[in-house]
Amino acid sequence: MATTVPKAPAGGMATFNILHGFPEALVRGMRCSFLADSDYHHMTQCDTLDDVKLNLTETDYGEALADSTILTPSSLQEVAIDKLVTEFQYLRTQAVEPLATFMDFITYEYMIENVMLLLKGSLSGRDINELIAQCHPLGMFKESTMRSIPTFESNAKGYSDLYQTVLVDTPVGPYFSMFLQESSEHMGGEVRNVLEEVEIEIIKSSLIKYWIEDFYQYVEKLGGETAVMMGELLRVRADTTAINITLNSFGTPLNEPAMRGSDRKRLYPAVGHLYPAGTAMLVDVSDEEELGRVLELFPQYSSIWNVHSSGGADKSIDDAFYERDVQMLELAFEGQMHFGVFYAYVKLKEQEIRNLVWITECILQAQKDEINKFVPVFSHHAPWRSLKSR
Amino acid sequence: MSSYSNACAGQYCNQGWAEVLTHMSPYGYANFGIAFGLGLSVVGAAWGIWLTGSSLVGAAVKAPRIRSKNLISVIFCEATAIYGVIMAIILANKVKSPDDASYYLDDDWDFAGFYYAGYGMFSSGLSVGLTNIASGVSVGIAGSSCAIGDAQDPSLFVKVLIVEIFASALGIFGIIVGIIQSNSCNFPIAPLE
Repeated sequence: MATTVPKAPAGGMATFNILHGFPEALVRGMRCSFLADSDYHHMTQCDTLDDVKLNLTETDYGEALADSTILTPSSLQEVAIDKLVTEFQYLRTQAVEPLATFMDFITYEYMIENVMLLLKGSLSGRDINELIAQCHPLGMFKESTMRSIPTFESNAKGYSDLYQTVLVDTPVGPYFSMFLQESSEHMGGEVRNVLEEVEIEIIKSSLIKYWIEDFYQYVEKLGGETAVMMGELLRVRADTTAINITLNSFGTPLNEPAMRGSDRKRLYPAVGHLYPAGTAMLVDVSDEEELGRVLELFPQYSSIWNVHSSGGADKSIDDAFYERDVQMLELAFEGQMHFGVFYAYVKLKEQEIRNLVWITECILQAQKDEINKFVPVFSHHAPWRSLKSR
Repeated sequence: MSSYSNACAGQYCNQGWAEVLTHMSPYGYANFGIAFGLGLSVVGAAWGIWLTGSSLVGAAVKAPRIRSKNLISVIFCEATAIYGVIMAIILANKVKSPDDASYYLDDDWDFAGFYYAGYGMFSSGLSVGLTNIASGVSVGIAGSSCAIGDAQDPSLFVKVLIVEIFASALGIFGIIVGIIQSNSCNFPIAPLE
């Protein structure tokens, strides 16, 4: 697959602002709209969802919530995601190359999720309209494209037909074609029968792997500060994917010794700190103890792993990964004149939306002791900040 | 003045590349100095203004309070252009048209005086122009960071402004040296007796 090449240089310190000064400054201004420690504090003290709504009217979410009457966790999530998508579209219309392609790469992840949602949903026989309503707005295709996805069969011939007719024109087409090519190569031409056993999850992991690699190549070609910051973020993302695939494969057929070398190995991205030595070791891992031993060799992951192996009472491994991600994404805002801020903004807003949903769910289900298990964004009390008083 | 010994006899032959530079008119040098001084200063100022202006406009969309304060960065950039204008006016006033416009120079033409003035003005124009490009770009980048930092945390404004003040001082160095260089450069409008 030809990697996407930037159509123009991003510009160094003295020339970045020609094309990208305005969008970058917009994102910086939008950074003010994140909920502060005091907002989270007030919300966790609330007893009903109406109080939460009252607190949110003073924040940046006030306008967005003005139309809705009753607040529920799912309605809050919908409103917040719509707000994020509106802001993203605004930024996207102000962007020119190469920033435009960069922002498109951010949306491909959601497109892959939507395609997988439609395929999986059609297997379980759910209604197409319901599925489309559940799709993430950042990754929408044309209506006709989306309606036609569930009509394909879920076997090898169906997938290649799906690709030929529908997906080839979409930006995620190249990833799907690489997946089909690799499957057919691997199976030695016997595509038809063997692919029936391949689950949707494996397809999704493969597509995400190709997306991460493609994005990484693009960012490296951009060079400069963007390659430094965004490259690090993508490497960490690839490692998280590899560890999660390994962890989730325990107890499934993917963990069989025969399948490990052939199938699980193919799901690890070819970028990241764990590549190539770490992923080679991960291929042979068969249970959590061995995984722990492999991760001991990588200091940045051993501390996260220890959270999981110590029983996961207060935090699960996902929470530990979220915390580490928030720390790195906040760092992206510390440097100027690079594209990483756009990616960081989307991901941190998503974290904030997750926090809001968690808080409202806890209030709704009256489980106040669990309510503080969220990771606030740009918090002054974050464990990685120095404890000087402000 | 026959200080140039003629190795060749013809009218159009010359001694070498050195003659190219020494045969350019001192008026040419002086006026190019004025042009470089003004032009390069304005390039620096313009570069700085679009660097800082784009960030200022973008950040002010969501944080309108930064609008008026951060115009100081634009004013600092503008100051570098003003240094260029000041230098250009000073130099332009020193260029005096010759008494008698003749094609051939007399034997007693004041080569030393004219060329001293010409070279002096050219180099002072370059001093001002090149330092102002550097100063303008530097103030622009610092101003862009100042606007963005102010949008996120208002207490940062004054601190980053100090960085800009130092960057702006570079332009002042240029104009000081330029004035000293061109101080004693005067075109002798009368030929030496």
